[in-house]
Amino acid sequence: MAELALDIQSVVKRFAQHVAVRELTLQVPQGAVYGLLGPNGAGKTTTIRMILNIIMPDQGSIRVLGRPNTESKLLDRVGYLPEERGLYKKMQVRRLLRFLAELKGISGREADKRIGPWLERLTLKTPEKDWGLSKVDELSRGMQQKVQFIACLLHDPDLVILDEPFSGLDPINAQALKDTVIELKRRGKTILFSTHLMESAERMCDSVCIIARGEKVLDGSVEAVKSEHGIRHVAIAVANKSTDGVRSLLEDPRIVKSVDDQNRFFEVELADGANPQELLRRVVALGVPIERFELIQPSLHQIFLDRVGAKGVEAGITGHG
Amino acid sequence: MAKLWAVAKREYLERVRSRWFVIATLLGPLMMTVLFLLPIYLRTRGMESAKASNIVILDATRTELGAAVAQSLGGGLQGDTSLAHVIRLAPSELAQAESSATRDVMAKRLDGYLVLDSLSSFGMSARYAGRNASTIPDMERIKRQVEQAVLINRLERAGFDADRVRSLSRVNLRLATERITETGRGGSGVGNIAVAFIASFVLYTLIVLYGQTILRGVVDEKNNRVAEVVVASVQPESLLAGKVLGVGSVALTQLAAWTASLALFVRFRTPILAWLGMPNAPIGLPGVGFLDIVMLLVFFVLGFILYAALFAAIGAMVSNEQDAQQAATPVTILIVMSAVFIQPVMLNPTSTTNKIISWIPFSAPILMPVRTSIVAVPWYEVALVMLGLIAACVVCLWIAARIYRVGILMYGKRPTLMEVARWIKYAR
Repeated sequence: MAELALDIQSVVKRFAQHVAVRELTLQVPQGAVYGLLGPNGAGKTTTIRMILNIIMPDQGSIRVLGRPNTESKLLDRVGYLPEERGLYKKMQVRRLLRFLAELKGISGREADKRIGPWLERLTLKTPEKDWGLSKVDELSRGMQQKVQFIACLLHDPDLVILDEPFSGLDPINAQALKDTVIELKRRGKTILFSTHLMESAERMCDSVCIIARGEKVLDGSVEAVKSEHGIRHVAIAVANKSTDGVRSLLEDPRIVKSVDDQNRFFEVELADGANPQELLRRVVALGVPIERFELIQPSLHQIFLDRVGAKGVEAGITGHG
Repeated sequence: MAKLWAVAKREYLERVRSRWFVIATLLGPLMMTVLFLLPIYLRTRGMESAKASNIVILDATRTELGAAVAQSLGGGLQGDTSLAHVIRLAPSELAQAESSATRDVMAKRLDGYLVLDSLSSFGMSARYAGRNASTIPDMERIKRQVEQAVLINRLERAGFDADRVRSLSRVNLRLATERITETGRGGSGVGNIAVAFIASFVLYTLIVLYGQTILRGVVDEKNNRVAEVVVASVQPESLLAGKVLGVGSVALTQLAAWTASLALFVRFRTPILAWLGMPNAPIGLPGVGFLDIVMLLVFFVLGFILYAALFAAIGAMVSNEQDAQQAATPVTILIVMSAVFIQPVMLNPTSTTNKIISWIPFSAPILMPVRTSIVAVPWYEVALVMLGLIAACVVCLWIAARIYRVGILMYGKRPTLMEVARWIKYAR
């Protein structure tokens, strides 16, 4: 296995009223796109803040790019896009970017050289208008997000941490972000992002870790996670007028564990030990015209719901604890 | 260290570039000039209103007292030599004459009138009414002249020669003041009071102004959520230190600009005053030595650090501007209290209470310079107070850094004192 970009061992973080992260262990190989998934309040932001040495774990150790994360200058090689985005509103964009780069150990002159191409690449600088010379609060929200994104990558970090990167992005910026992530991976960078949007995680991640209530529920490569979960799902669609018969058939607890009525088709989770062939036989026996009968790989979304369930979502705890 | 420098540089440049800084830097000296010129201007005005030819003396003494007073009051100071008009009348006519004089004053035909009656001739009482009745120097002058005229009158009646009495009794004493310290004579007492007042006032203004700037800066960073990006790159302690350093440098820049323009004004005061149509007032330039200036700077820097740390800690505790002002009240009271004591300490710099107040770290930056510029304070006392102030700075910075570290990423409701205590205990 390649060197680890991130190695978290048995990390615990307690706050006054609750335990935010308990005994979390996870490893991110270098060059991976890694998804940290979990409902709100699961401890994602707390974990990320510990990785960035903003807060210290009560127990456990964190190594970033092979070194303890408390080492000075190490975090200069990490880029961070926080969930709550924010910039100095009254600052000129170029000066702001230069300042944030200087905080990562890049000289002002070097930063100036890099800012131009980035502004052009994200269309903040066009022949008509250079937004880099404007103040931040003159920019639209979408443009400010681009600026924040540049700030996160300007120092060419080896590990990029994106906390809920897709929240609040319009489709165009979301696409730009996705393209950039793919390009970073191609250049051998490691990307860790947290999200509660399973679809985007499923499309982009090599590996994922699902956490809930501060604990790891499962982790591994996306393929491994899916195959481990087994094919327990069947999609059934019948001609429109015959759905009632199927619905009563699916109430049999010996075969069916749960049904997700998707309106145009049913997504069925089979009961333990039930055979999908038995279900097919019964549907055929109903004599209704079958439009679809398919064994489907569970989506991350489905796995997430199965493993975390409603009980994993604790109300009232935000991601800022 | 490089990051601390980057933070300080940003704080400094962004603020010095701002319109407000330019305005404050220009307006400061203007305000100070006004402060400086206003007393001179008022004194000039005060002298004008005392123009003797514009008052009437109602003399019901049946003696020459009124004429004598008019004589010794002389003309106005503006080169007008005509004397006050004296009306001699019987005591029974006084009431009517007074009401007519009152009407004249109201109609601005007169500045005021002096009533001399039988009691005045015994040197017991006299009355003055007029628009300048609250001008203390004028009233002093009239009182003195009446006293003198009564005295001359008595001496004449005792058989002394009138002209001789008059020439012998003419005394116009000018009191020159000079301060003596343990190291010898130095400057005029009045000049030192002026220095004490201006220095403490400027120190107070700058500490309040830039302490608030730090407070607003921290709240702003929290509100904008930019704090998280920044603390992911720098330790909160460096961020705090850089902030204090950067904003403090802005304050020093302002102080330097103000001092320079004040020095320029003092240097070129004659043409400036002439241009404004005011007589040149002799400014007793106090002896301010190099060491005094160094001491002033040290007190300013330490005082600023102390209050900046407190304001930063407050800023980290709250999430919005309104809460910030409220939470900052205790700190504001501390600094305002120091300002309240400027005058008592100035008037009585050697009393034990005032000494003790000037030793307390929270008021020392403002009150110690007041004392040292008025009386001689032993060097070891100054050194001890500075050490105490440094110790207070260290403690406050330590506490502030811990509150800052936890608070800067806390949003929502304001923490209770218990919670803040827990932050300090278990920072991070």
